[in-house]
Formats: sequence, C-alpha cells, structure tokens
Amino acid sequence: MSLPLESQTAQAGSVGQAVKKPGQLRRLARMLLKSKTGTIGLLIVIVVVFMAVFASAIAPHDPAKTQAAQRLKPPMWMEGGSPANPLGTDNLGRDVLSRIIYGSQVSLMVGVCAVAVAGAIGVVLGLVSGYFGGIVDNLIMRTVDSFLAIPNILFMLVILTVLGPSLTTLILVLGFTNWVKYARIIRGEVLSVKERDFVRAARTVGASDGRIIFTHILPNVISSFIVVSTLSVATTIIAEASLSFLGLGIQPPTVSWGGMLSDGRQYLATSWWVATFPGVAITITVLGIMFLGDWLRDILDPRMKARAK
Amino acid sequence: MEANLLEVKHLQTHFKTEDGVVPSVNGVSFSVAKGETLAIVGESGCGKSVTSLSIMGLVAPPGEVVGGEIWLEGQNLLALSKKELRKLRGNKLSMIFQEPMTSLNPVFTIGNQLGEVFRQHRQMDKKEARAHSVEMLEHVGIPNAEKIVDSFPHQLSGGMRQRVMIAMALACNPALLIADEPTTALDVTIQAQILELLKKLNKEFQTGVILITHDLGVVAEMADRVVVMYAGEVVEQADVFSLFAEPKHPYTKGLLGSLPKLDENREELDSIPGSVPNPLDMPDGCAFHPRCPAATEECKQNKPQLQEVALNHLARCFYA
Amino acid sequence: MRQYLLKSILQIVPVLFLISIIVFVLVYVTGDPVSLMLSDTATDEDREILIAALGLDQPMHIQYFRFLGNMLQGDFGTSFRYDMPALPIVLERLPATFELAIAAMIVATVISIPLGILSATKRNSFLDIFVSGASVLGKAMPHFWLGIMLILLFAVEWKTLPVSGRGSWDHLILPAFTLGTGIAAEMTRLIRSSMLEILGQDYIRTARSKGLIETIVVYKHALRNSLIPVVTIMALQTSTLIGGTLITETIFSWPGMGQLIIQAVNTRDMAIVQAAVFVVAFLVIVSNILADILYRVLDPRIKYN
Repeated sequence: MSLPLESQTAQAGSVGQAVKKPGQLRRLARMLLKSKTGTIGLLIVIVVVFMAVFASAIAPHDPAKTQAAQRLKPPMWMEGGSPANPLGTDNLGRDVLSRIIYGSQVSLMVGVCAVAVAGAIGVVLGLVSGYFGGIVDNLIMRTVDSFLAIPNILFMLVILTVLGPSLTTLILVLGFTNWVKYARIIRGEVLSVKERDFVRAARTVGASDGRIIFTHILPNVISSFIVVSTLSVATTIIAEASLSFLGLGIQPPTVSWGGMLSDGRQYLATSWWVATFPGVAITITVLGIMFLGDWLRDILDPRMKARAK
Repeated sequence: MEANLLEVKHLQTHFKTEDGVVPSVNGVSFSVAKGETLAIVGESGCGKSVTSLSIMGLVAPPGEVVGGEIWLEGQNLLALSKKELRKLRGNKLSMIFQEPMTSLNPVFTIGNQLGEVFRQHRQMDKKEARAHSVEMLEHVGIPNAEKIVDSFPHQLSGGMRQRVMIAMALACNPALLIADEPTTALDVTIQAQILELLKKLNKEFQTGVILITHDLGVVAEMADRVVVMYAGEVVEQADVFSLFAEPKHPYTKGLLGSLPKLDENREELDSIPGSVPNPLDMPDGCAFHPRCPAATEECKQNKPQLQEVALNHLARCFYA
Repeated sequence: MRQYLLKSILQIVPVLFLISIIVFVLVYVTGDPVSLMLSDTATDEDREILIAALGLDQPMHIQYFRFLGNMLQGDFGTSFRYDMPALPIVLERLPATFELAIAAMIVATVISIPLGILSATKRNSFLDIFVSGASVLGKAMPHFWLGIMLILLFAVEWKTLPVSGRGSWDHLILPAFTLGTGIAAEMTRLIRSSMLEILGQDYIRTARSKGLIETIVVYKHALRNSLIPVVTIMALQTSTLIGGTLITETIFSWPGMGQLIIQAVNTRDMAIVQAAVFVVAFLVIVSNILADILYRVLDPRIKYN
C-alpha cells in the first residue's frame, strides 16, 4: 500500500503522546470525585476486591461447611432467621453470606484473567490486521466475522463440552471467544493513527515496523484498550455466571455466584434468598465495574465521550 | 422615525457555561424598516448569529435571552408564549442558514420539507402543499421543479439546496427574512446568483431582510443600512454609503482596510492585529482597545457609549 | 439492488466456510463419539467396526471434506438421542425460538423508543436520570437472574403467570421480558445518544425555524434519522439475542432451539450441536444482510454500488 508522503517536514513523535506530569494523579483523583458514578464504581470495585482478597478473614463461616439442622434458614431480619447467618442458609445449611464473599474470588479471577487472554489475542491480531492490511487483514477480519456469527455463549458451551469444565479451561474459553471485540477496535484505531502525521513522518525517516508499532501506535491505542478491558471484565463476569449457572462453568466445591444461583433456583418456591442474593452480588459488582469503565472512557477518550453523549 | 417593521431594543442573550456566563449579545439595539435590507457585520463570535437566533426564538440551551425587547409589527416577540412565537416562525418571520448542505433533512424529499410549511401555517392538504411547493421552487429559479420536488437533498448541488432553503423561508411570504451568511458556503458564481435572487425577492415581496455576513463585498452589494458588531455590542451603525465613505469606528476602518480594492495593487491587506477577546475575560474600558491602533488611556479606563456622530450615523468610540 | 444482494450473498460463502471449519474442529477435538454411542458391554471389535463405519480412522482433512460434503447436502449426522437426522430436529424447534425472539424485540422496542426519546428531549431532567439509571441496571443484571426473579414474583408469590412451558400468551410474557429487558436497556441508551446527536443537527434548527410543532420536529425529523444507526446496531445484535434464548429457554422450559442446544451439549449429542451452531450462524449472517438492506432503505443517501 502506498502512502502519500507530503509531510516530510513534520517532526516525528512531537505530537500525539500525552506527557505524564507529576500533578496528574491528583488531577485524576479530583476528576474521579467529581463524577458521582465514577466514585461509586470505584468504591464498589474496592469493596469487591477487598472481599475476594480477605475472604477467609471476613467470612463468618466456612463456605463449604454444611449443617443439616440449619437448612434453608431465612435472612436474619425475617422470622426464623438468626444473626449467625445474616443472609440465611442454602439447601445444605451453608451460610449464604460467606458463600457470596468467597464467590467474589472466582468472579474477579475469571473476569480479569479471561480479559487478559482476550486482550492479548485481540490486540496482537488487531495491530497486525490494521498495520499490515492486505491479505492478512482480510483473513483476520473474515475470522472475526465468523466468530461474530456464532453467539459467544454457544461457542463457549461447545468448547466447554469438548474440553470439560475447569477454572483454567473456563478462563481460556472466555478469553478465546472474546478477543474479537479488541481486534476490531484496535484495528480501527491503528487505521486512523497510521495515517497521522507523526507516524508518516516516522516511516519517512525509516523507522522499522516494530518500532513504529511500539513507540507510536501502541501508546495511542492504549486508552481504548483500558476502556474496553474494564467493560469486558463486567461482561465476562456475567458470562462466567451464565456458564456456571448452566453447570458448565465452575464446578463444586469451588463457590461461584452463578452456581449458587443455579442451586437456589430449585428452592425458589420456599426459599427466595438462596437465588436472590448471588444475583444481587453479580449485579452490584458488574454495575461498579461499568461505572468505573464509563468514567475511564470519559477521561481517557474525549472522542468516545462526545459520541456517547 | 417611521414605524419600523422590526425594532430590537437592548437585546441581551447570555450563555451559561461551566466556566461562567458568556454575554454573547450584550445590549444590542437596531431596527429594520419594511422592505429594507439591514446588514449585520462582524467577525465570527461577535454575536451576530446569536442575535438572529434570538429574534427567531431559537437560541438553544445553555443560551438564553435575558433582557431587552424585540418588536415585530407592534408585537413584542419576547413577551409571546412559545406557541404564539412558533406560529410566527416560518410564517411572518423566517430564516435561511449558512450551511445548505446540512440544513435540509437528508431522509425526506424536498417537496415533503417544503410542503410542511404550507401544511403547518396554511392548513393545506398534501396535494395543495405539493402544488404550492412546485410553484415556490419555480419562483426561486429552480428548473425542472416538478422533478426536483420529489428528490432528496443529497441529489442537489449546494446552490440548489440554498434555493430550496430560500423557497422554504419565503413560502408564507414573511414580513422579515433573516439570512445568516447565506452565501458563505457556496462557490463564487453561485454566490452572485443567490444574492441576485434575494435582492429580486426582497423587491418583489417587500420583505424586510436582515443579512448576517462577514463579507463586506456582500454588504456593499445588498444592504441599505449596516450594523457593525464587535464582542456582543453594536460599535457602529449607518447607511451603507456613509459607512463605506466615512467609517467612524476604528474597528470598521480596520474591516474596510482589509477589503481589497480592485483599483489598487497592494502587497498586503491591512488586517486587524490581534483577535476577538475571550468573552469570559473582557478587557476593561472599550472592548476593542487592545486591538485598536488609536487607543488611549481613556479607552482603557472607560467604556464608550454608542452616540450619534453624524446624522443617522452611530459609533461607539470616544474619538469618532 | 440485485447486484448488491448478489454481492452480499457471495460474501457469506467464505464466512460459512470458516464456520464449517470451526464446527468441524470442535467436534474433531471432542475425539470420542464412539464411546458415547456404544453400550458398556461392547467389545473392542465392535468398537473398531463402528470407528471404520463412521470414517474416524481416516486422516483429519479427509474427514473434514466428507463432513463438508455431507453438510452441503444438509446432512449433519444422526442424533443418537433422538435417533433421527439432526437438522430437521433443530429446524423443528425454530418457530418457538422465533416466537420468543420476536416477542422480546417487541418488548424492547415498546420500552426503549419512548424512553429513549423522552430522556433525550428532556435531557438532565429527573426522568432522564431515572431512565439512564434503569438502563445501566438493565445492562448490569444477568438476564437469567432477572428471569428467576420474575418467576419468583409473578409465578411463585402472586401466582399470576405460568412458570414454564409454551402455549398461551401468558406463557410468553415472562420469557419475553426476561430476554427483552437487556436489549431494551441497550436500545434505550442508543436511542438517547443518537437522538441527542440528531437534535443538534442543522436540519432540526431548520425544522424549528419553519414553525413546525415540536411533535413533528421530534417524531418526524429527529426520530427517523436517529433510528438509522439504532436499527443497524440492533440488527447486528441477533447473535446476542439468540445467545440469550439459550438460557431463557432453559429457565422457562421453552421448547425452542436454545433449550435443545443446552440439552444436546449436556448429553454430548454432537450432531445436534453441529447442526444448531450452523443454523444459528446462518441466521446471524442473514440478519446482518437484512440489517444492511434496512439501513439502505432508511437512509436515501446510500446507493447500491
């Protein structure tokens, strides 16, 4: 592909990259506090991370401990409930609150790791596709189309059936099915960055492809990457819960919110709390991450903000 | 003074932004007589477009008309209800905009958009509205009107679209037409045609016209009288001949100085140094003093008032 | 137009080809359909015979070409659970899934268009903040949990609607809301932002300068333009919509394709899974083409070329 090279006088690297200033962290903090939803989002995320890290210290009970005598006890504010099990117990007498606290571990772990896998695949393919164009681009984009034609959940179900459910497979499968989003966005960014003056200038002075990608293109696509990743963690947590709900995700005895929901579904008629609270936990966590992601998008990418408003 | 068609008195339109209140239009007064063409001239950001939108009642939030009166044929537009004002728009009072390319809705046909005016204000049915639309299109010099009426905007050229806009604005034979930079976005040859058309229709319908422009060539061609605006205020007002012959305000002089004359051959045009002041940080005294070649201590301290410096010639300058 | 259609149809071919590879690889990796098909008492010899009969002793690419050949004739193999060809079993379930998907889209449209418009025209009002909040919540909620909560309220607590199955209108309400809410949340956000963008366009100012009543300005001039991107994006969501039917149908025992797929996955009935993945992919691709056509119908500026 030929590029117009009229901008030979442009200075390489003089444009486009934000310079980190010492006061920037404080400025970010101020901007965060200014956005109510951003603050709420951050608080929720901090609480969930705290829950996951210190689960063994804060959970009142062992999440796996069954107590036949304490089966399906209602939450403490209802008749028959007790402060020992603030959110009640499940069909095996296990403490719902403790299980929710432990469940956050799986959700976060799967969410973050799967997004890392998806991001790694997607960014590389997106960069390659956008930067080199031609046949490579065509091949990658047709693969993207094929992936888009199969619903993610169906794809994941089939792979999980084949490979058998486990934590590692789950992360890999979620990562392997979600890279498409990254590939498309990164490719689009690369296509637009590639034509800007500083990249053309770098090319004119003979910089190698690898150097151009790493010093000029990557820094420019990083903010979209952060925004997409944050929002992906949220959708991945929902996907993990869906798979665990269908029995193809996290397997007992590991606690997961989706699995708890699935257990609770059987006892809906008598014990609403077993299925309700894990869903509340998922919703709040996802909400927090989405708020944080929206806020990040607003500050990192003014163009995306303009489009969203 | 004779009874004027339009009388704008001390109009104030402010924009409330996060950083403070921007007084885009700050106490502007002028009038337009029946059949007269008044040009409002100034650099972009001087408040001329906001003035016209204020008259139309189309200032969008965060902008708001906060003071003054706008009298059209004895009615104060600012005292009317939204509904009453809406009934005047497109009817007695209409406007054409700078960008013919984006001012027509891309998904409806010309006939649909033009016919709407008749249906709204004249209670016509679809068939009548269409017939009138064709007639109107012919009136503004569109050939093949029967065919054009069923086309979409993107199928027409910029000049054609501006003719459609004019047809739309004149559909109900308005008493006042506001033309906001009607030719800026067009090719030079098309510009002349559109101006010619406006002139012709102005004579024919005895419509009062407010012509907003930054192009003094257009002013000389079209206007009877001129209002020069700077930083939200009127700085000079006169009939077109006096203004060009004897500009009183240094800003007007500067504007005229930057206009090339055919009979001279200059290397450089005199342009006014500096730029329009930040509306949030207006200079003390005369708003123009930082750019004025003749500014004195007094100009920095005190704000000059608009005063009559010759017969029917107003200027806002201590030394006019 | 015809040329354009032809071109889009030709573009499907490579995508379907890639999908056939994906589907084939999935099953090839599964490896061992044989042990699932044999009873516990089968001998090694029975096993050999079955492997040979299924062609599983052939190299991978040969197996693939045979798979492709069969597939082109609509033969995805025999479901060992139903002991019938897989494709007809999948197709038989389609009407139920269509019914659910269409009902969900209707729910989503009826909720999102008025709310999206209102929150854009009354920007930053209490209503706008409420609608924005509700749509974020709608996106954050896992829809299977919403389904369970709806069952809890409407079927268990108030006993007003049936818990599961298909038949009357009553049966359709809960699944349609379960599936439609998430889409409604997404659509409301899209319509709001699209509407806000359009309301700032020059031609809206023109419409107002003509003295048109606000209803015509909003519902004629702005809405028609705002819907162009919304319709396109929503039609591209078919894949998500069908994905959503999998769980919704499972929760409500809705006898559609989604439920069939989950059952097939659980019983490792790979012929059904393959056929279903292919049917779904085909539907998604066709709906993407329809989205493109719709886009061209809504926007007269776009020409077929």
